[in-house]
Amino acid sequence: MTAEATASRPSRSGLRWGRLLLSDYAVLVLSAGWFVGVMPLAPGFATWENLANLVGGMLPLLVVATGQTLVLITGGIDLSVTSTIALASVVGARVMSGDSGWLGGSVLAVPAGVAAMLAVGAAVGGLNGAAVTVLRMPPFIVTLTTMMFVSGFAIWWTQSRNIGGLPAGFVAIGARTLPALLVALGVAGAAHAVLTRSLAGRWAYAIGHNPRAAFISGVPVRRVTLLVYVACGCGAAVASVLYTGRLEAGSPVHGQRILLDVIGAAVLGGTSLFGGRGTVVGTAFGVLFLGLLDNSLNLLNLSHFTIMMTKGAVILVAAWMDTVRRRLDTA
Amino acid sequence: MLALRGAPLVLCAVVFVVFGLLAPRFLEGANLVNILVQSSSTAIVAIGMTFVLLTAGVDLSVGALMFVAAAVAGKLALGGAPLAVAVVAVVGVGLGGGLLNALLVTRLGIVAFIATLGTLYVERGFALWLTETRAMNLPESVLGLGTARLAGVPLPVVILAGILAAAHGVLTRTPYGRQIYAVGQNLEAARKAGIATGRIVASVYVVSGVCAAVGGLVSLAQLGAVSPTFGTAKEFGAIAAAVLGGTSLFGGRGQVFPGTLLGAVLIQTVENGLVILNADPYLYPLITSGIIFVAVLLDSAGTALLASRSRRRIRVEDAPVPGGPARHRADPDPA
Amino acid sequence: MIACRGIVKRFGGVPVLRGVSFALSGGRTLGLVGENGAGKTTLMNILGGHYPPDEGRMWLGGVPYVPRHPQDAARCGVAFIHQELNLFGNLSIAENLFLTAFPTVGRLPCIHRGNLRRRAAALLEEVGLSAGPDTPVERLSAGEQQLVEIAKALSLDARLMIFDEPTTSLTRQETERLFARMGQLRVRGLSLIYISHNLEDVLRLCDDIVVLRDGEQVGGGPRAAFTVDRLVSMMVGRSITRLFPARAAPVSAPPLLEVRHLTQPGMVADITFTLHRGEVLGLAGLMGSGRSELARILFGLDPFARGEIRLAGRPLRPAPRRSIRRGLALVTENRREEGLCLEAAIADNLALVTLAAHARGPFGWLERAGLRRAIEGVRGAVRLTPTAPDAAPASTLSGGNQQKVVLAKWLLARPAVWILDEPTRGIDVGAKSELYQLISDLASEGTGVLVISSEIEELFGLCDRILVLSRGEIRDELARDAFDRERVLRAALGERPRPGVLS
Repeated sequence: MTAEATASRPSRSGLRWGRLLLSDYAVLVLSAGWFVGVMPLAPGFATWENLANLVGGMLPLLVVATGQTLVLITGGIDLSVTSTIALASVVGARVMSGDSGWLGGSVLAVPAGVAAMLAVGAAVGGLNGAAVTVLRMPPFIVTLTTMMFVSGFAIWWTQSRNIGGLPAGFVAIGARTLPALLVALGVAGAAHAVLTRSLAGRWAYAIGHNPRAAFISGVPVRRVTLLVYVACGCGAAVASVLYTGRLEAGSPVHGQRILLDVIGAAVLGGTSLFGGRGTVVGTAFGVLFLGLLDNSLNLLNLSHFTIMMTKGAVILVAAWMDTVRRRLDTA
Repeated sequence: MLALRGAPLVLCAVVFVVFGLLAPRFLEGANLVNILVQSSSTAIVAIGMTFVLLTAGVDLSVGALMFVAAAVAGKLALGGAPLAVAVVAVVGVGLGGGLLNALLVTRLGIVAFIATLGTLYVERGFALWLTETRAMNLPESVLGLGTARLAGVPLPVVILAGILAAAHGVLTRTPYGRQIYAVGQNLEAARKAGIATGRIVASVYVVSGVCAAVGGLVSLAQLGAVSPTFGTAKEFGAIAAAVLGGTSLFGGRGQVFPGTLLGAVLIQTVENGLVILNADPYLYPLITSGIIFVAVLLDSAGTALLASRSRRRIRVEDAPVPGGPARHRADPDPA
Repeated sequence: MIACRGIVKRFGGVPVLRGVSFALSGGRTLGLVGENGAGKTTLMNILGGHYPPDEGRMWLGGVPYVPRHPQDAARCGVAFIHQELNLFGNLSIAENLFLTAFPTVGRLPCIHRGNLRRRAAALLEEVGLSAGPDTPVERLSAGEQQLVEIAKALSLDARLMIFDEPTTSLTRQETERLFARMGQLRVRGLSLIYISHNLEDVLRLCDDIVVLRDGEQVGGGPRAAFTVDRLVSMMVGRSITRLFPARAAPVSAPPLLEVRHLTQPGMVADITFTLHRGEVLGLAGLMGSGRSELARILFGLDPFARGEIRLAGRPLRPAPRRSIRRGLALVTENRREEGLCLEAAIADNLALVTLAAHARGPFGWLERAGLRRAIEGVRGAVRLTPTAPDAAPASTLSGGNQQKVVLAKWLLARPAVWILDEPTRGIDVGAKSELYQLISDLASEGTGVLVISSEIEELFGLCDRILVLSRGEIRDELARDAFDRERVLRAALGERPRPGVLS
């Protein structure tokens, strides 16, 4: 745990329940409550099969939301993650596909494909980071344009067609629960370790808190900022590996609809849009909550619209709790 | 300085000239009107977005609100309600959506980005419920609206012109409009000056809501159908149009005319020009986003330059400092 | 017009105004002088309705004047012309003038542009600004913006105008223009209060003068009773308490930081000095004299055009990371904005500068036990309040403890040269004396310390030598045995030192 997290963690001084609901654990508590509440209502909910499905669906979101958390901690935002997922997906498929891929059938197909996907993520992230740090453009609009461009490029390149025939070894990474779980937890765990235990992580928080003070204290603000955008892009690429495997095809529209889920999960987990505050653990709780919500509302045979409205309301409540928490902190 | 500020406008001109040279048909009157018609919906939504951006806020829920408005209008049209009722209902939807955002932002103090992200979900869900997640095909009467003409001018353009004129008038000619600029420039100073900042901030979300709803109706009249993806990602198009027209994301700068209108038209122009040139339709977003990127880059470079110019100076080099070195004297000193 | 009787104000029990009384009739100008911290600002804030006085009464135009908030004061006809302008650069002059009271077309909510332009032009004419009413304010110079502020005050039918250091960012010509306008305002029967460090201007402009020192009104009366010399001695006549640790002066220590002909147009000019090992060197000067700007240039936050900086004999091209590596530390004047990550934990703030030293391996894993030990150690060294847990946000600390955190984070880096910009601003006396001890200890350990302070006696108590800056230039240099308030103040006000004193 970072000091940031412990600062608002109530366990140490045993604060009241009210504080718990306003703490970083609020979402976990809500998730547990929701889980228990839904169990009797939806018969298929607490089965191993459904839980595996639930977890499998959450993992790519966890990976991409982890990357987003890094960027948000420095006070930035990355709207281009979903487009990165799409582009990495089709690039990877182009490399690996047994039907038409450049290395189709070769033993190198899978490693080369994954490497290419990661390179796509790093490139898009590097582009965002450079525009934000060197050209000093606002992150929101920079990543908005890269979102449009990268997505457009993926669609143009594939002429909006899916690419199938992926090697079984690759599909297994995303489609089978265990490897996907290992990859996702690996990424999240690494990000968590970097944030809490490494120099770069502590610098990232400092930049988010006060870039001026960080700069004067000798923090390489530009380098770290660039790095978090690259890391975020790579996170999207890893998520793309999972998505692509899960759906067994490279598609230029993969992940298109999860952008707001990604940011929502991070914010639900206590990450602040103003920077300086956020943890991977919290984001994981946010992902868990959104995944649980999606899955159970589906099982309850509730319609798509109920799911969306509930999600929206939940995000608003979480944001409001964040506002209240801030007021309590500064009071 | 002015050249830098006006960079997006220069970019518009460049695009027009380039397409005009590449395809003479592009500059024909009929095509120009066509561009206006195609861009009217985005332009209307972007006008509302400009109000919000001027206060340094953002409204991500406009696309969803367009959907709600279209769904409500569609339902009413299918139910045989008269057009006037549908229009009133649409404006009501816009007011409601806008008020909701205003409440969340000013009363609960939620950041605009997240507040409007939340309402995006809520409103999209609501519209999906209204349409029962099915595409809704509308009777000819509604579609007729999209092609109708008023004194020879297509109706969507008439509506756009009306809203544009009103918005431009409000922003440039009313105390309220000028106070919006003051609030966006410096909220704290505006409050000190005695401006009711809370009311101003709340109002821009209402304006944005109404514009989004009307934009949804116009879009509906042109498409003739409400699909479950109606209005998706329109918020980004609207922000892009406003920013392209020189509106700053940091508040206080921007105009709906010519700025935002040109931004919306430019985006549509690029698409239109590419169609005429028979370009691969998949290339459109690539070129559009490239142009937006350049426009924003020029804008932020201009802002940085302005900021460095306005730094307070300690030494006023032309001042005759009492007892100071002679070289700082203002009046020419023969010695 | 305006009268105050027995105004007393305390902050947290500490009196900052102890019974100020004056009366000013229409058409006259009152000069208000005093050192920084003498209570001028507090008095103005009371007049402006920012907070009420604890004791005493005020009258405006013969009736009791009790402003509850700034808008109240404005309605009563009290207007402020601040050093920092409250104009909106993106709006035109005319719009700034009438922002909350636009002339409209009948009762429609529509601005009557003709009317607006006419009325604005009339006001501009009155203040002698030649720019058109439609000019955006951001295109005006500081002096022109000052005139817009005056025009705005006129548009509000001000009866009392308070000028707070209005000339700091003006050229001499602009200043003369402003003075001429002020003369005209007086003829129209307005009362003016003029606050300035430029005593000659005060003597020239004002009919009456009030001198404040430590919140006390130490003098007042018609201008004829004052000279610059008398004003200066009234402003400073104060004795040093034993707030400062005794320390031996360093004996011909080797040079540590050498600055030669440092120049940045518009900021500082031809700055040359040497800081020695074990020396505490003070930088005196008024606000806006270039002290902080010099500090920022030395550390590498701002560029310089010409000149040379050498640290421990080797040239230094300052940039924060490089400066830190070479052993420079900068404690900025605004610790909330630039010194601390306020919402971050105390421990994280303490660790920030030296984090890299605790990172191991290619991934920069932090060696946390060592980091914790270092933090524990430095907390003790600066005597940071033991009741604040490491994980609490820095914002929960008092000003004095926050400043200790800032010093401590640099202390961990063991700098060779400290640049302290207003290190005791907004800190209570107890914490101040602890900080003085700390600074003194640093010097006796052989580091060089550059202290910027607006409090002259703080510099006298701490420093071995003092440089006085005015308008970005070094005006005077005083060794410890030659410390003299009057001389410092004269140099700070821009007077040329007597021949031969500049070494």
